[in-house]
Amino acid sequence: MRHIIIILFACSAINTSIGQSDSVIILKEVILSDSKLLEFSDGIKINQIKDSVLDQSSGMLTDNLQFNSPIYFKQNGYGMISSVSFRGTSAQQTAVVWNGININSQLTGQTDFNTVMAQNMEEVKIRSGGGSTQYGTGAIGGSIHLNQHLNFNSSFVNELDFGFGSFETSRTFYKATYGSQKFSINLGLGYLGSKNDYKYLGTSKKNENGAFSNKNLDLALGWLFSSSNLFKFYHNTFNGDRDLSGTLTAPSNDNYQDLNTRSLLEWMHFGKQQVHRTKLAYISERYRFFNNKESDQFSFGRSGSLLFNYDYLFRFKNWKVNGIFEANQVSAKGSSINAVARDRLSAIMLLVHTPSKKFSYGFNVRKDWVSDYDSPFVVALHLETQLLKGYRIRLNASKNYRIPTFNDLYWKGLKVDDNMKLVPETALQAELGQSFLAKNFSVDVTGFYIATKDLIQWRPDSSGTWSPNNVNDVTQYGLELDLEFHKKIGKHRFNFKNGYAYTKATDNLMQKQLIYVPYHKYNSTFSYTVNKWGAYVQALYQGEIFTTTDNKQNLPDYLLFNAGITYRIDQKWGITTNVKLLVNNFTNTNYQNVAFRPMPNRNIHLNLNLKL
Amino acid sequence: MKLKNALLTIISGAVVLYSCSSDDNINAPEATGAYQSGILISNEGPFNNGTGTVSFVNQDLTEVENGIYSRVNEENIGNVVQSIGFTEEEAFIIANVSNTIQVVSRYTFEKIASITEGLNNPRYFVAVNGKGYVSNWGDPNDLTDDYIAVINLTSNLVEGTIAVDFGPEELLVYNDAIYVAHQGGFGQNNKISVITTNSAQVATTITVGDVPNSMQVDSDGNLWVLSGGKPAFTEDETSGSLSKISTTSNQVLSTLVFDSAEHPNHLSYDNTKLYYTLSGSVYSMLPSDNELPTIKDFEDLEIYSMTVFDGKLFVTDAKDFASNGELSMYSLASGEALNTIEVGLIPGGIYFN
Repeated sequence: MRHIIIILFACSAINTSIGQSDSVIILKEVILSDSKLLEFSDGIKINQIKDSVLDQSSGMLTDNLQFNSPIYFKQNGYGMISSVSFRGTSAQQTAVVWNGININSQLTGQTDFNTVMAQNMEEVKIRSGGGSTQYGTGAIGGSIHLNQHLNFNSSFVNELDFGFGSFETSRTFYKATYGSQKFSINLGLGYLGSKNDYKYLGTSKKNENGAFSNKNLDLALGWLFSSSNLFKFYHNTFNGDRDLSGTLTAPSNDNYQDLNTRSLLEWMHFGKQQVHRTKLAYISERYRFFNNKESDQFSFGRSGSLLFNYDYLFRFKNWKVNGIFEANQVSAKGSSINAVARDRLSAIMLLVHTPSKKFSYGFNVRKDWVSDYDSPFVVALHLETQLLKGYRIRLNASKNYRIPTFNDLYWKGLKVDDNMKLVPETALQAELGQSFLAKNFSVDVTGFYIATKDLIQWRPDSSGTWSPNNVNDVTQYGLELDLEFHKKIGKHRFNFKNGYAYTKATDNLMQKQLIYVPYHKYNSTFSYTVNKWGAYVQALYQGEIFTTTDNKQNLPDYLLFNAGITYRIDQKWGITTNVKLLVNNFTNTNYQNVAFRPMPNRNIHLNLNLKL
Repeated sequence: MKLKNALLTIISGAVVLYSCSSDDNINAPEATGAYQSGILISNEGPFNNGTGTVSFVNQDLTEVENGIYSRVNEENIGNVVQSIGFTEEEAFIIANVSNTIQVVSRYTFEKIASITEGLNNPRYFVAVNGKGYVSNWGDPNDLTDDYIAVINLTSNLVEGTIAVDFGPEELLVYNDAIYVAHQGGFGQNNKISVITTNSAQVATTITVGDVPNSMQVDSDGNLWVLSGGKPAFTEDETSGSLSKISTTSNQVLSTLVFDSAEHPNHLSYDNTKLYYTLSGSVYSMLPSDNELPTIKDFEDLEIYSMTVFDGKLFVTDAKDFASNGELSMYSLASGEALNTIEVGLIPGGIYFN
């Protein structure tokens, strides 16, 4: 800690105009992996999913987010391939950002939210709206940020969480953190497995082929080399092995295996008014798909992405300027794609001006040069102002993009001329948000508008061969409302958190709502704690969705409830124990999230959390 | 549908989820039970997450009843509805991914039986001499587990199998023999198997062009096999070809080869001329012609399936594969567009009742 304090003093002494609050920011920079979320996000809606909320769910990111955000998920059966629609955009138009690095698949352009386990992350944040200037491809609807922290000068803490429940589900999470003045280590291990053979309510069938087993490793290391130099290393490995569920009308014998790794080495150098960051990262993904799990035959795809990033932040009076240069090489190969490599260079400039405590604005630009397609020049403007005490207005507008994936460009048999004609999807968006924060409640209302051009979709040609094309333009607009109440009466604490989203997402040609985008989504959590006891009830309402582009077929809306009770056993032999009993879908609602793929009936889980 | 491509694409998440719900027929009128004279359309339905359906369309394409199977029987057929085969009185609806054949009365669509045992990736059905025969891929990547299931038409059970070459697809019956076109599952093949029904054995195998996709017998008793050629994604692209085969000697008599990268499909025959589709156009030729036609009878069509019947051309359009398709009818004589009507999701088969 002493060294960090030295940094603080050094900075504030030299640049007095920054003031005390900015010194704290420098401290945060040390422990944060993605400082842009803090430094260059005025005017952007960012929500954090709290630890206590992460603990309420299984461990897969889909579960974490769908009850706690306006984001809509479709899962091909529980625990199976899960894709996202953020503000009515496509699954490839939401970026998942790990410690500041975009980790969407190079092959598919999207992240399967059931292959991300965020339980051991210190910070899960939802950044709504376009973010391509900062996070690159796919940050159109919004981005999900998974960040690890460094904890210098913290005592050695072990946390073990294990549980079991319905459908032979078992989970184990272990986390260890320790920090000295100079070193910090943060290790997380996670396992979640289930036979997942839930009943298909209203039928005599079960989810026959839905077993899954997920393993996860997280590591964060920090070394404060000197008072102005910090080295960081972050790593994540995820290994998933899933049988893929069948449907009501078709059995399945499929199996799908993922192996994803992410490693990031970063050197931070603090100057007087400036921060240099040099990053080297390697991201790999690999999948194997067995059409018949008893057979040895599989199809596969893999990619490796090597990334170099230099980031220079400069502060002058109430200005902040951040210049970033990035070089990236991605190579991919698969049974259906030819071995190829793609090179990219990016130049990014971020600027924020804070003329007063009540007003700030910023401006971002980015240009990529890529070896195999033309990437657009993108720009973002954002501002935030406090009009009254507790009342803030956010405004932002940006241009964003989504590049063709390796599947889109290099699928075997695509004629090179054809797929090189593909252009990135580009989206213009604008957003206006207002928030009001009072003692016992907060309100946030956000309206957004997105116009996307050149959506890439796969369609068959006249000879029946499927190929990707820039087929249509879409428009999304909508409203998000967040309401939170909290109250403390003596030992009784109440919290009531609500989120509602209205989303209109239209295909400009057909003038119909896009498939698998609900008009309405509402989620709510009511929690109550007294002394050692805690209880919560969670509700999720998902409106009707259409399953065909002519909007002639649909899936009905549904309302789900989860509930839980927790009991804390205070320290005994240095161990604090938390016991938790969760009942998911306690009304035993029969619902489908993707047509013909029923979701679980009522299920019960018991968790034990030990901290020492 | 090119299943392999579609499957891998879906797996890799690169296409949107095509789907279909079970309650699409709730507001439909009561079943009439009379599907006596009209056109049956098999709609594949979404590749995953749904069910195929059958539409009944009247002869002048002015009225349609979609989802007739589920309306009559209050259950789903299954997916993907690959094809329908017929006996005199019954229709055999093949749900490929569900490994099921729904046996219904051909004219009322009331269910008689479900065949669920003994099928593995069933594709097409024919009936001959009191027995049913169904081509089965088995594992679509496995070259050696392909077979023809023999169905007892009284019990509606699979009573035997005939092992065949890789990827059996369309079936054609002529003179007590079954001709099996081996398109080749998720791969490609170039064979026609000839099965004699009294021995229930493969009598001979004929080599034709790559990917034989459709067959017809002309009035002289010659078998015509249209091969699409290997598609570009195989990275060993070959062009299509049209083979004329003697049904007495089972020898290839002649072969007409298409230009490179041309992949024709949907060979049809109106007792005078052969018709086929190529890149959105329809061509026709006499069996006696020595060259492939160069004049297009129809062009700029969206063709998912095509057949000729009673002096008319019938074409289905699968649109974006995620919404209801269309059936269109044209006059073969004048080329005039006669009518178009909306049918179900991915209309793949056209049958005349």
